[in-house]
Amino acid sequence: MAHPSQLGFQDAASPVMEELLHFHDHALMIVILISTLVLYIIVAMVSTKLTNKYILDSQEIEIVWTVLPAVILILIALPSLRILYLMDEINDPHLTIKAMGHQWYWSYEYTDYENLGFDSYMIPTQDLLPGQFRLLETDHRMVVPVESPIRILVSAEDVLHSWAVPSMGIKMDAVPGRLNQTAFVTSRPGLFYGQCSEICGANHSFMPIVIEAVPLEHFEKWSTVMLQDA
Amino acid sequence: MKRHRKENTMLATRALRLVGKRAISTSVCVRGGHGVAKVEDYALPSYYDRRENPLPDVKFVTDLSPVQKSLKEKEKGAWATLSNEEKIALYHISFKQSFAEMNKGSNEWKSVVAGMCFFIGLTGLVVLWQRKFVYGPVPHTFESEWKEKELQRMLDMRINPVEGFSAKWDYEQKEWKK
Repeated sequence: MAHPSQLGFQDAASPVMEELLHFHDHALMIVILISTLVLYIIVAMVSTKLTNKYILDSQEIEIVWTVLPAVILILIALPSLRILYLMDEINDPHLTIKAMGHQWYWSYEYTDYENLGFDSYMIPTQDLLPGQFRLLETDHRMVVPVESPIRILVSAEDVLHSWAVPSMGIKMDAVPGRLNQTAFVTSRPGLFYGQCSEICGANHSFMPIVIEAVPLEHFEKWSTVMLQDA
Repeated sequence: MKRHRKENTMLATRALRLVGKRAISTSVCVRGGHGVAKVEDYALPSYYDRRENPLPDVKFVTDLSPVQKSLKEKEKGAWATLSNEEKIALYHISFKQSFAEMNKGSNEWKSVVAGMCFFIGLTGLVVLWQRKFVYGPVPHTFESEWKEKELQRMLDMRINPVEGFSAKWDYEQKEWKK
C-alpha cells in the first residue's frame, strides 16, 4: 500500500513491476528533459528585446526538430514494447485463480484441485480492528503462494469492474461475459493492496483487493481451512 | 487624361475619406463618444507606435496647424537652424510616442499580483469556513493512536521495503534511519 502523502509508485512486488518502474524512470527523464528545454526556450523567447521580422524558413532546424523527436519516440517505444511482450510471455502458472467482480465485492475461485470459492467484502470503517487500514481491508484475502507464477482470470458478474494491484503492476478490466487473463509472480511475502479501478456504481470505492503472499505450506493450510469452512 | 484625373480624384477622395474618418472619430471622442459606432477599416494605412516597426504607414498628425505648417517649411532648410523644441515639435508631428515612452513598462503587474493574492486568500477563507461549518468529522481512523498502530503495522508487514516506507526504518535500533 502507499504510505501517507506518497506521490510516486509503490515498491515493486513482482518482476514486471520492477521493469515498469525502470521504464517509467526512463520515460519520465525524457519528458523532464524535453519540458525543461521547452520551458527554457519559452522564457528566452519572451524575455528578450531582440526582434526579427524577416525569418521565412530554415531547412536545417526543421530537419533537426523532425528527426530528433522521431528518434526520441523510438527510444521510448522500444523498451515499452519489450515490457509489453514480456508481460505476455508463456509463464507456466502453478495456480489459476478466477477473480469475479460484483457490485460491490470481489469473489475468488480456486478450482484447480478442489472447488474453493469465497467472497471478499471490504471491512466497514466502524468494524476495523485498531491499526487496520480504512477502505483497504477485506474480510477474506486472496492468498497465493509466494514466488509462484499465478494466472488470474478476471471477469464480472454484473457491470464493469477492474482488478488492480499497483504494487504488482497489475490492472485488468473485469468485463461481464469475458475472461481476461493476467499473470504475476510475487517477489516477496506480504500483503498487497489494490482497489477496484472501473466505476461500477455507488460503492465502487469500497471494494478493495488484498493479496496475501505466503509460503506454500501456509497456502496449503489456508486452502484446507477455507474448504472446511465453506 | 480622363482616367488619370479619375485616379487622382479617387486617391484624393480616399485620402480625404481617411482624413474625414479621422476627423469624425476624433470629434466623436471629443464629444464623449455618443455617435455612430465606427467600424475601423483596418485595411487602410494607420498610425501605430511599435518598437519593431519604427516607421508607421502614416504620420501621426495629418492636419497641420499653421504653426506646424511653417515649421515644416523651416524643416526644408538647414536643420542646424532648428532649435531643440522645434525638433521635438517636428518629431511629434510624425510620431505620437517616443521610443522611451512606448517601451516603458507599467505598474500593472502589481495590480495583477494583488488581485491573485486576494482571490487566493479569499479561497483560503472559503475553505476554512467550509471545514468549520460544512464538513462533518473525519473518520475515527485519523486519531493519533490509530495512526500509530497503522504505522507499526505497516512497518511490521514491510510495506515498500526496497526504497519506500520500510526502507527508511532501522529495524535494529527501532527508529527512523538518519
